[in-house]
Amino acid sequence: MSLIHIQDLSKHFKILNRRQGLGGAFRDLFSGDYRTVRAVDGIALDIQPGEIVGYIGPNGAGKSTTIKMMTGILKPTAGTITVNGQVPYANRIRQAQIMGVVFGQRTQLWWDLPVIESFKILKEIYRVDQATFDRHMEVFEKLVGLKELYSQQVRTLSLGQRMLCDISASFLHNPQVVFLDEPTIGLDVSIKAKIRSVVSELNRVRGTTIILTTHDLGDVEALCRRIIILDKGKILFDGPTKKVTSLFGAYRTLKLQIDDFDDTTLSSLREKLAGRFGRDHGVTVASIEELWTDVTIDQARTPLSDVLNFIMKTFPVFDVRIVEISMEKVVQQVYEGALG
Amino acid sequence: MRTLARYLRLYFIIEAQYIKARMQYRADFLVSSIGMFFSSLATLAVFWILFNSINDLAGWTFMEMVFIYAFYMIAISPMQILFDHFWQLRFHIRQGTFLKYYFRPLNMMFYYMSEMFDLKGLTQLLVGIGLLIYASTQLEISWTAARVILLLVTLFSAALVQVAVVLIATCAAFWVVDSWPVLGLAWKLREFAPYPMSIFDGAFRFTFTYIIPIGFVAFYPSQLFLRPEQVSPLVYASPLIGIALFALMYWIWTQGVNSYTGTGS
Amino acid sequence: MRSYWALARGSFMVGLVYRFGFLFSILGNIIYLGVAYYLWRSIYQGAETLRGLTFNETYLYVALGSTVFILLKTYADWEIAYEIREGIIAVHLTKPLDLQLLMLAYSLGATLMNLAAITLPTVLILTLVFKVSIPLGLGLALFPLSLLLALLISFCFDYFVGLLAFYIDSNWGISMTKEIIITVLSGALIPLQFFPAGLQAVLRWLPFQAIYHTPLMLVTRPDQGWETFLPMLGVQATWAVVLVVLTRLFYGQAIKVLRIAGG
Repeated sequence: MSLIHIQDLSKHFKILNRRQGLGGAFRDLFSGDYRTVRAVDGIALDIQPGEIVGYIGPNGAGKSTTIKMMTGILKPTAGTITVNGQVPYANRIRQAQIMGVVFGQRTQLWWDLPVIESFKILKEIYRVDQATFDRHMEVFEKLVGLKELYSQQVRTLSLGQRMLCDISASFLHNPQVVFLDEPTIGLDVSIKAKIRSVVSELNRVRGTTIILTTHDLGDVEALCRRIIILDKGKILFDGPTKKVTSLFGAYRTLKLQIDDFDDTTLSSLREKLAGRFGRDHGVTVASIEELWTDVTIDQARTPLSDVLNFIMKTFPVFDVRIVEISMEKVVQQVYEGALG
Repeated sequence: MRTLARYLRLYFIIEAQYIKARMQYRADFLVSSIGMFFSSLATLAVFWILFNSINDLAGWTFMEMVFIYAFYMIAISPMQILFDHFWQLRFHIRQGTFLKYYFRPLNMMFYYMSEMFDLKGLTQLLVGIGLLIYASTQLEISWTAARVILLLVTLFSAALVQVAVVLIATCAAFWVVDSWPVLGLAWKLREFAPYPMSIFDGAFRFTFTYIIPIGFVAFYPSQLFLRPEQVSPLVYASPLIGIALFALMYWIWTQGVNSYTGTGS
Repeated sequence: MRSYWALARGSFMVGLVYRFGFLFSILGNIIYLGVAYYLWRSIYQGAETLRGLTFNETYLYVALGSTVFILLKTYADWEIAYEIREGIIAVHLTKPLDLQLLMLAYSLGATLMNLAAITLPTVLILTLVFKVSIPLGLGLALFPLSLLLALLISFCFDYFVGLLAFYIDSNWGISMTKEIIITVLSGALIPLQFFPAGLQAVLRWLPFQAIYHTPLMLVTRPDQGWETFLPMLGVQATWAVVLVVLTRLFYGQAIKVLRIAGG
């Protein structure tokens, strides 16, 4: 039986259409002029025990609204949702006992208290018995090296240390499902790797189901066998991560600043690249931000270094950055039928 | 009952840690307590000055006013000590940090309020107790066991009234972005609680008795001890009023908690 | 979608809130004016005058006092303490600006805003609803000048307490103590005439009464001559100068803490 079962789930918000000016604002006080925003619009999914699922999508896709429904904060407008066979919003407290939640930016530990005291309080809140507590703390010690942080106040921890503590804390009561929201945001590469290995190890040891929302495709690639891509409240793709990463993992974007950029630069760049690498070369050109020209390259078809060399020789480039493909780009490509 | 015991135990564990952490700033605690001490005596100082020019205020002597004021101080101290986190509610809601209170298998109001324990509020409690003992000695109030029980019951319900009034105003934050004016108003009204309600008439007395019943924070219940022969039957209902108002506040809180969707991410 | 939702909700409520907040502060004022009315009415109990003041005079003093109180609360103590704790103060020091003048400018701005948003409506309510007559006279003309001096004195106290944050972790207690001492001893709640004679004699020499009692008396008893008003303003001006000088000296000392300890 699946741990999380979602069928035809929708959440609509009503938003007041605001009128302009002072008079308008006054009329708004009594206005019934609402428009409906479909934050989540008829999704269905099943998550099995022990899975790590990447739940991704651009800002405003409805990820957070779904998570809030799974955790029992929001009541769905329509559809069914069960977690561990129970309706989440029917009994928030019972449901909270089987869940762990981590928010990337904000700690849920006690800001002014030493780390170990936070864990002791959690032990009481979740009624974890001493033996289980000791066993878990040992696991955290082995994975995270928690002991040396025990006596530090939470406020004095670095962002990375705090995140490791928060993640450990969310596993303390042996929850069936843990929600990780942007666990690697704002962290440098080495800490990111550490967090990924801790999460995957906790999942392996405890068999905990993990739902990961992130903007970092690297997190998904490293942790999740399954990925769900959401946009505008609908599921765009639900399937093996491999299928997505084989497609997008190979993509890199060259961000260029070109001297004397004018209206003709983009088209001349496109033409010259087509002339050099052929029409079906997996290289696309776009200008999204001002001053920056984005050249997205499918490395499976055309080596990035070749493209870079060619452009540097042909155009007066004075700045270059290489970035992994963005979430927005993935969604756009999926729309265009990339995943078939 | 088991739940109550568990929550009490939890509260004790959390606050013990908080006090330990706070005690690292001993000088701060000392200075804050002094500030609290002075602010506890401000209104009383005003009464003292006024009674230089008058013999009684609407028939109440200075010492009776001290008694009412002492009752008020004790009745508002639970709010100060146990519910002091209410000041931050509007910031938590606006910044989206309120979300975290949903994720623990605990009563949310308990969890939220447990994050603050205001030690300096103990000063208020002590000043109140000191003044109560002083005034009742001066007034020669004889404390029988029954009276002491009555005092505890009425103090408890007065504290409920005061907590309920302020928290209902605080809950406005769930629906309005800047709820400060509502809270500020409730906070200001609270300061009128030690005034003899008999000085008011018309709309004011009606409001302070039935609508925003701050009269039940100090003045009405104090009459049970100062002028038991003149007490109106309504005063005996004060425990019920306290409980009813607290229940209403809790219902509003629950509505607010359910309507909050977590703005920001 | 979530962010749009938040934005829409936010802008709706911000739009709503200004009128909402304004309404509540006016309501708060009316209630306060009412409570003060009943309180003083039962204090006077029909007496013609108490301590040489009629009911109308005392009530005008107290009612106006409540709005002047809002005008003269500068919050500079909280502001400066916050900036010191968060290290923002260092930013000010890199600019060719005088911290005291900068803070005073902020306070003046807030005072002017409150004057328009709170004091004027309150005066209207006083005259229209509570039928209090505001007597005319020389004192009323001198009131703005006196208010300005009062603001300067009040600001110096707040500024001084704010600077104490260089030395202590939290100045909640000191701010609170300062607030209470000023509120009670300045005559913000009760005219000084009601104080015991001995205390009155002492208070006349302290700077506190220059904050509330002096400007409020100018309005309450405006029908007196220069011989009464000149000494009152003189005392105010002297205190303003003394306190400005003292706080500047103190700032010179306090800033060394920052220079040495590095904020």
